[in-house]
Amino acid sequence: MKNRLKIERAILELTQDELANQIGVSRQTISSIEKNRYVPSTVLSLRLSSIFGKPVNDFFELEESEMLGHNKD
Amino acid sequence: MTEKSFVEYERKSLEKMKRYQLPNKFKKIGVGVIIVSLVAFFVNKFSIENIDLRLTTKYGILVGLLLISISKEKVEDELSIALRMQSYTFAFIAGVIITLLTNPLVNYIKNLILDKQQENFEGVDDWQVLWILLSLQVFYFEFLKRMNK
Repeated sequence: MKNRLKIERAILELTQDELANQIGVSRQTISSIEKNRYVPSTVLSLRLSSIFGKPVNDFFELEESEMLGHNKD
Repeated sequence: MTEKSFVEYERKSLEKMKRYQLPNKFKKIGVGVIIVSLVAFFVNKFSIENIDLRLTTKYGILVGLLLISISKEKVEDELSIALRMQSYTFAFIAGVIITLLTNPLVNYIKNLILDKQQENFEGVDDWQVLWILLSLQVFYFEFLKRMNK
């Protein structure tokens, strides 16, 4: 999953710490999401959406291989 | 499922995970219990040699590890819950493999070197199994946290 979290955070001029405090998680969690190491839950995604004032699809995007019909499992 | 009920479902499942955990300060208490138990264990081993004290200190180490294991992080969020679950899974699988393979193998080699004629492999006792599981979980969780910084 690709994300634009870092860019959206930069637009609002927020540090990782500030964003983390606003949505009630640790700075480590924000860093992990930005580095694509962790995919957040729906709750967290919607909290981010309300902070950025944009729908979730605007800053989270599925990779080609994750699209429906590409699942090989 | 509506968006609201979906969010509510996820929130409840996260709350369930937190219900079985102790506050963060218990992590420090756990470390303290381990240090006191280790000091008492070595003092007992080299001077007092009391069997009851030896057992108490050994179980003190387990209690300390358990306190660390079930204590919350300073900010307990979904990432820490996910990492904790990952560490429990790892500890369970690695613990079983170590218990089944490593210890009897080490004992077998030890018997060979010491030329002991034992027909049965020595297994592991309950304390060793619990120590392996708990210490693997605690250390792997710390490792995962550092990897995610």
